Amino acid sequence: MKSNIYNWFFLILRRDLLMAFRRSSTYITPLIFFLIVISFFPIALSPDQDFLRSLAPGVIWIAALLSSLLAIETIFSEDFRDGTLDEFFISNDPSFVLVFAKVLCHWLVTGFPILLASLISSLILYLPVSSLLPMICSLILGTFFMSLLGAIGAALSLGKSAILSAIIVLPFSIPTLLMGTAAVSSAIDYQDYSGFLLIMGAMLAIGVPGLCLLTVEAILLNYE
Amino acid sequence: MNKIWNYIKDWFIEMGSPPLFFKWSSKILPWLLFISITVFIVGLLWGLFYSPTDYKQGDVYRIIYIHVPSAILGQSIFMFMAICGFITMVWRVKISGMLLKSAAPIGASFTLIALLTGSIWGKPTWGTWWVWDARLTSTLILFFIYAAIIGLHSSIDDKTKADRAISILSLVGIAIIPIIKKSVDWWQTLHQPSTFSLTSAPSMTPDMYQPLLLCFLGFYLIFALLLTMNLRAEVVIREKNRSWVSKQFLNLER
Repeated sequence: MKSNIYNWFFLILRRDLLMAFRRSSTYITPLIFFLIVISFFPIALSPDQDFLRSLAPGVIWIAALLSSLLAIETIFSEDFRDGTLDEFFISNDPSFVLVFAKVLCHWLVTGFPILLASLISSLILYLPVSSLLPMICSLILGTFFMSLLGAIGAALSLGKSAILSAIIVLPFSIPTLLMGTAAVSSAIDYQDYSGFLLIMGAMLAIGVPGLCLLTVEAILLNYE
Repeated sequence: MNKIWNYIKDWFIEMGSPPLFFKWSSKILPWLLFISITVFIVGLLWGLFYSPTDYKQGDVYRIIYIHVPSAILGQSIFMFMAICGFITMVWRVKISGMLLKSAAPIGASFTLIALLTGSIWGKPTWGTWWVWDARLTSTLILFFIYAAIIGLHSSIDDKTKADRAISILSLVGIAIIPIIKKSVDWWQTLHQPSTFSLTSAPSMTPDMYQPLLLCFLGFYLIFALLLTMNLRAEVVIREKNRSWVSKQFLNLER
């Protein structure tokens, strides 16, 4: 039984990753989008170093939230359209694991490139080196939570417009945004930031079972 | 114990069946209309005209009799919606999904009223229309969540499906609203000291407090009234092809 779930999990994960990497746009687009949004802020506001440094945590986080939502539509919609999702749900394997594997795959494809791009953008925005570690840690926790939230939004708006799932998801992403920016900016001020990371981790720990189960419910709505 | 529980459950399900609900709500609606509007008007008149003037803010503070009840109501309606959502998800009770759907616009309106009156109150007392205070921010986010729920419901054509979709969203919302509140509080206290707080004002005298309590009661009753009216309309729209609806309205015409 145990190995069965693991097999199922890795099967889905391998399949989705393979499909994602065969089409380079899936992992390039969020990356480019992230960098473009980041570069707009110095152009639009001011290239002043101190000003940009104070702005950087918020800018990086907003860009990360938007670009992780960018590709969220594709997480279920293609499999839903060609009927693969039906087959997954008909099979006896747990659908909870299916959702988790899909979310993990989405995070690996969009969240992970964003992590790399945030390193580049920290150079552009003159972030001090001491705040790199909290930025990376908070982005890992935060973008994964965003992928979970995005999955529920995508499942609820299957076959609908892309803007709908963004409207559903964005209000719920505010704690992540607050905690993430607070962690980075308190690291800039040489304050203790571990509390913010702990809360983000706690949200993720509750979110993985809770949101995955609700996502399963939301997908099942489309089969009634 | 189990027997009593089953009896209560059956009673609720029976009362919630659309024809029966329509029948008993027709009976209580005139009473509810009378009582709620009376309490509402008496509470507001008492608060607006017969309560003492605040020695610090003058007569401006009287907006509290609209602002605070609607802010509280905006939050408690969300709690109500989450309970309805849970019932819809677990027991698939049809009427609770309709309740959830009819409560959402009312909750959004009360939250909007709280935001607007707070803004009007803020201009003379704080000097600005808007402050990024913790409480204001979390109320604004609550309003966005209401908007998301209403938008999601209207985008799905099959209404029973839409009910279950927003019940999922309201459950996510009820889990995340305390986190939003806490995180906004924390963000606020960390970045800048709270500039204004309601608690620093002198605690209220009973003369001011009693009309406020009556206003709370009046607003809750108005919510019950609006909810009943909304739900009756919703029930009729959903069940328009059933025989009891045509019988009901043909009898009325005769």
